[in-house]
Amino acid sequence: MLFRREISLKRSQWILLVVMIFFSVRLFSQDKKVSGTVTDAGTSVGLPGVTVNVKGTKLTTQTDEKGNYFITPGKGKVLVFSFVGYEQQELNIDNRSSINVSMTVDAKGLGEVVVVGYGSQLKRNVTGAVQTISESEIKDLPVSTVAQKLQGRLAGVQINQTTGKPGQGMSVRIRGQVSVSAGSDPLYVIDGFPITGNINNLNPDEIESISILKDAASTSLYGSRAANGVVLISTKKGKPGQTNIGINTYAGLQQVPMRGRIKMMNAEEFAEFKKEYYEDAGQPVPVEFQNPADYRNKNNDWYNALLRKAGLQSYNLTITSNTDKLSTALVGGILNQDGVVLNNTYKRYSLRMNMEYKIAKNLKIGFNIAPSYVFDNTPRTDGDRGTGILFNALHTWPVMPIYDDNGELTLYNKFPGSTGNIFNYPNWVRAADELVNETKTNTLIGNAFVQYSPIKGLTLKSTYNIENTNSKFFFFNPSTATSAINVPVPTTAVSIRQDMQAQSWLNENLVTYSRSFGEHNFELLAGFTNQRFRYQSARIQADTYSDDRLPTIQGALNINRSGSNTSSDAQEWSLTSYLSRLTYNFKGRYLLTAAVRSDGSSRFGNNNRWGVFPSASLGWVVSDENFMQHLKAVSFAKFRASYGLIGNNNIGNYTQYALVNNTVNAVFGNTVASGAVVTSLANPNLGWETTKQFDFGLDLGLFENRIQFNYDFYTKRTTNLLYSVQVAQESGFSNFNDNIGEIKFWGHEFSLTTLNTVGKFRWTTSANISFNRNKVMALADGIDRVYGTFHITQVGKPFGQFYGLIAEGVYLNQQDLDKNPSIPGRSTVGSIKIKDVNGDGVITYGGDKDDRTIIGSPFPKFIYGIVNNLEYKNWDFSIAGSGSYGNQLLIRHLYSTANLDGVFNLVEGVKYRFRSVDNPGKGFYGTTVGGGNVTGVERDWMNSRFIADASFFTIKNVTLGYNVGIKSKAIKSIRIYGSVQQLYTFTKYWGGPNPETSAQSNGQGDGGNLSQGVDLSNYPVPRTFTLGVNLNF
Amino acid sequence: MNTKILILICAVGVMMTSCKKFLEITPETSLSSATFFVKEADFQQAVNGAYVPLRSIFNDRAWILGEMHSDNTYYPRNVLFGAVDPTENVADFALPVSNGTTTNTNVLNQYRLDYQIIARVNQILATIDKINFDPNSKSNLRGQSFFLRAFAYFELVRYFGKAPMHLTPVANRSEATADLATTEQLYSQIEDDAKQAAQLLPLKSVQEPGRATSGSAKTLLGNLYIVQKRWADAAAILKEVFDSHEYSLMPDYNDAFSYTNSNKNNAESVFEIQYQEGASGYNGSLIYNFLPRPMTSAELQPITQTSNPQSLSGEGNNIPTPDIIAAYEANDKRKDISIGYVTLSQSLRANKVYPYIKKFARPHAQHGNTGNNWPVYRYSEVLLFLAEALNEQGKTNDAKEYINLVRKRAGLGDTPAANKEDMRTAIYNERRVELAFENKRWFDLVRTDRIEEVIVPYGNRIKSNPLNYYYPDGVNPPSNAFTNLDKYYGLPADEASLSPYF
Repeated sequence: MLFRREISLKRSQWILLVVMIFFSVRLFSQDKKVSGTVTDAGTSVGLPGVTVNVKGTKLTTQTDEKGNYFITPGKGKVLVFSFVGYEQQELNIDNRSSINVSMTVDAKGLGEVVVVGYGSQLKRNVTGAVQTISESEIKDLPVSTVAQKLQGRLAGVQINQTTGKPGQGMSVRIRGQVSVSAGSDPLYVIDGFPITGNINNLNPDEIESISILKDAASTSLYGSRAANGVVLISTKKGKPGQTNIGINTYAGLQQVPMRGRIKMMNAEEFAEFKKEYYEDAGQPVPVEFQNPADYRNKNNDWYNALLRKAGLQSYNLTITSNTDKLSTALVGGILNQDGVVLNNTYKRYSLRMNMEYKIAKNLKIGFNIAPSYVFDNTPRTDGDRGTGILFNALHTWPVMPIYDDNGELTLYNKFPGSTGNIFNYPNWVRAADELVNETKTNTLIGNAFVQYSPIKGLTLKSTYNIENTNSKFFFFNPSTATSAINVPVPTTAVSIRQDMQAQSWLNENLVTYSRSFGEHNFELLAGFTNQRFRYQSARIQADTYSDDRLPTIQGALNINRSGSNTSSDAQEWSLTSYLSRLTYNFKGRYLLTAAVRSDGSSRFGNNNRWGVFPSASLGWVVSDENFMQHLKAVSFAKFRASYGLIGNNNIGNYTQYALVNNTVNAVFGNTVASGAVVTSLANPNLGWETTKQFDFGLDLGLFENRIQFNYDFYTKRTTNLLYSVQVAQESGFSNFNDNIGEIKFWGHEFSLTTLNTVGKFRWTTSANISFNRNKVMALADGIDRVYGTFHITQVGKPFGQFYGLIAEGVYLNQQDLDKNPSIPGRSTVGSIKIKDVNGDGVITYGGDKDDRTIIGSPFPKFIYGIVNNLEYKNWDFSIAGSGSYGNQLLIRHLYSTANLDGVFNLVEGVKYRFRSVDNPGKGFYGTTVGGGNVTGVERDWMNSRFIADASFFTIKNVTLGYNVGIKSKAIKSIRIYGSVQQLYTFTKYWGGPNPETSAQSNGQGDGGNLSQGVDLSNYPVPRTFTLGVNLNF
Repeated sequence: MNTKILILICAVGVMMTSCKKFLEITPETSLSSATFFVKEADFQQAVNGAYVPLRSIFNDRAWILGEMHSDNTYYPRNVLFGAVDPTENVADFALPVSNGTTTNTNVLNQYRLDYQIIARVNQILATIDKINFDPNSKSNLRGQSFFLRAFAYFELVRYFGKAPMHLTPVANRSEATADLATTEQLYSQIEDDAKQAAQLLPLKSVQEPGRATSGSAKTLLGNLYIVQKRWADAAAILKEVFDSHEYSLMPDYNDAFSYTNSNKNNAESVFEIQYQEGASGYNGSLIYNFLPRPMTSAELQPITQTSNPQSLSGEGNNIPTPDIIAAYEANDKRKDISIGYVTLSQSLRANKVYPYIKKFARPHAQHGNTGNNWPVYRYSEVLLFLAEALNEQGKTNDAKEYINLVRKRAGLGDTPAANKEDMRTAIYNERRVELAFENKRWFDLVRTDRIEEVIVPYGNRIKSNPLNYYYPDGVNPPSNAFTNLDKYYGLPADEASLSPYF
């Protein structure tokens, strides 16, 4: 009752406040002025651009070039001086008319409050490995997803853009996380709500700060979902004392750089290759290739034909306001991004409204609601031969015309069989333009809370959260085009419709109590939470249309019911948890945190329903000790250590159950009798993957914190990995889902932030470097290896290594062939020469006498990033880059693009293949003579020729901005900027444009657990030039 | 404040009690062990599912391991087809064996399919008694289950001599493997199961056609006794089948075998594997497995009479040897019904005429898709079993009656055999031609200890005269042919690697 009356009484105020927000009513008072100069404490130089705010009001000004300000504080009593990189100061006016301020550097504010799991903490008191990124650090990057903005900025976090599709393809791995078959993505928590999807469709402008929780101590309150690390995202809130309206907008142009595109043969070169192919084989040259010069200037670059320059626009409106009772933030955004592949569009419309309302002094409610709509149409660009049109285009004969003589797109191309053309090549430009492959997604995230503080230090909080995602997928393949190879065109028109709905709700009830006894400070947290998720989908695949213009369901002659082409699905899980944390410090110098979460999950086996995940961490602010006081250079030093147990529950929803297939039918006489069989083994003991993690860290601030250094060392041991273990089929089954094995991880993370210069010319540098390692300690009993696509995961070795033969050039002559081990019946002079790893004198692929070995690793030796920010007067400049060293990629497309049989177009390097003893080429590609029996070895037997160094350093972003010095009551600031995203990549990688790639053959997602680092010529990442404006009112 | 905390505590209490249910979520789009095996219809479906592996066993494997592994059939070598086929190894008695195991895929697949039946049956038998439903229906379902388990173990014991024995459903990884049971242990289990089945199952006349009957179970039991040389037991149980009057010989031998849509489960059929022609996946492709190659579509069409004949490449299998062709007596009607001839224009041999198994070549509609059933036990075999069981007990005169019934239908006169030895030979030869290509020959050679006696000279004939055994000119059998005359197949190596017991 009380509650309701409070709200109704305030309704008029509500309306007034909303009006205030939207019309930004400004009230000025005509009292006396205060003026002064703000200087840097270290250099005594005046600081321009410092924000001076009258506390509790919207009255704000900025210091001029010399650090001078003046302000009319009205009835205000306190001035707040704030400036990025300096500690904020609050000074009482006390009727003074002149106030000079000397600000001290807080290069990465240790007084700063950081968001941690289930609360926030002073940064200096944090005992876990937590890294925070604020909105201001990443605001200018013209990219559609949050993860792209974080590239290179986080120590120990590898963020790869595996495909250039707008809004997709970001792989985020914290501390080298891998798993045999469970998921490795971190847990994303938005405003305290662990979401079930990813953050690709989240408007980055809604974000205020991001905290990355890396060690067990900081993640263990997320229990069975914590092992992959946790990303906490806080969205914007009204800041005290200010109403601010900001408009951020940019427009840009995207283009795939020429550098890195795979050098393929042009039409003339290809014709020359074909001519030589037949000549070398002693066969007559087909008439089409007798005169390669005929193709001069008649090249058809199928790959480039799929690419275009594409526009990009983004508009964001942010309104924040905060009064005594109500604080609100509203963010509205529109992103309209065309992809650099034809017919690719990504549009996002998003809105977020965050509100907190103080009903009474000790009672607060909050309400966030964030709807968004995303439209995405992406041609089937990615995937293996026959699946991804970029791969298909790459290896299509350049002598085949894209356009016919009338300037129309050809339907498909096929040369006579006598030319060695065995495939039909549909026109890929049509495949991009005419296929519809669109997804429309509506997402709604809502949070509500009630917070009550009955007595000082005690807070009760209940939150209710909901995440609702609806998407509609529509695919239509008209009769005139196809993304598949070797399908005759016109083809059968196919439509697919899939409707998907996912909903997750979470209720959390938390009690916190904090109290100090002298210099002993305690905080106790206890909570109880319930979460439930449900997904359902329905899919209809129809084909054989009489008219491409009517791709309705009723317009199809056939509904394709085979497999799950037309099907429905439902997935559900639930999670009940108890959590508790004790935080204690003595004098803010000796720090202790202990936490535990207990998770009960429907995913876990009936006999293994509950998991307990405890952690403890210690911190020592050694710089507070007396013996450190004489070390003036050291402003801050803290040692941290933590240990804890965390889990990974990404094991599937129903893995524990034995499934029954009720379509295994029998026949009796001429009658079908429906049959049912148990197709898998139940495992009521199935559980989460367990990770025990130790972390040691050092945080150091030198010279008034102008140099900040952080170091972390960690070790993790993951056991109970989910794996479908092969069992003897005398059981009637082939596999058993079990928790097996052990992987050990360890690594070092260093980050350094320096404030190089202050004053008029202000220059900061942040850099980080991380070394992540892993080793497989055990797999299931009796199993010492698990294979991926071209990979091996073997006990005693690092995870997921490339596995194949070692190529050692070609057999240069008969003597070379005779002297060295070879493949009986297949090796010839000029064919690929392979190392006899097992020394048995014969080259063997697979089986007992296998010569395969580890030939490379998709995991880098280290990853690094560097960001420089420079400010001079009204100008600002930043440059950010990220890199990776020591990893390789497997250039999978070479099995087509270096297919020596000339069935496909070839990489330019094949020009320098072995042709004869006198003309041995560069010793890389072998002879074309002998057909598949000879050339097939090079192509089909995975070997080190497919492996290439993929170390790189990419200048991710360069931005130059200018603050237009407008003095206006209506406009606080105007800043214009220009930026280049993905400016340049330094790399020796030759297999394709994107050294960050990792692909699956079906074109969906990155390489997956056991098979990472495969290059299938996915969607290239464009370079983007943008111009933007930030307006603040 | 206190009341609020109290409310909170209460709320937590309520949540905790409902917790167990909150965390119980079973799959919705697929039945699971958590929701299945709760009613009669579930068990009916489960029993139906237990029959399913038989389709694959008899379409794809049994004729390789039971017929080509004898002197009845061989493969017509097609040198245009390069690879050494595991099937050739079986026909050539050249199975690679190491530590009692073999990598041969035919052996592996047969083994796995038998254990699929066993696992499915074990699941049924472990749960069916907990659910109450119509006792007649339950007896019938249990009877079929026992029959199928006996059938699968009987295959295993005859192929391998020893095998892991599972009688309850496997629940976890450690139960997935079991120690090898001896021949005697397996015999004993098969006897128990078959006896249970014989008792629980109805007569053929009241059972749904195609399902196991008491007659099927008794014949299986009789077969077991014969393998065990328990002649009196065999004669007694087989006589029960004879006296049931449920079965009779089809007047025409050709009608003993089903057609694509008709004549299935006929009066002579004691147990047969059921196929159905069509696109639903219940079809066989028997005759296509049994034709010599390369064959053009025009050469194929008269045999299959489909509307869409396609040429056959690769290497054919299960081609009647000159030995079986010679085994028929003059005027035996069964010879021309069982064996036909086809001329392959693309054959590399000088003689391009090949025999093929005609009795399973039934006209059908679509290429590669046949619906005729496979005969496992026919009444004529019951008669021959009975004759053998009696003769071995010295009741040679009593045996005559039964063998002559079979001979009469074949258009032959009474057997001239007058003593036990001659009668034994007569029965062996009668079985060979009456049951030709029905996967009986290898098991007969094993149980009568005639491997050396029959296979060694057969191998010598092939090696000395490959032309007669369908080799092209100048091509010889593999050098390791007829080097492995083991009584039992090696256990599958892939399974051995997953079992600590072998």
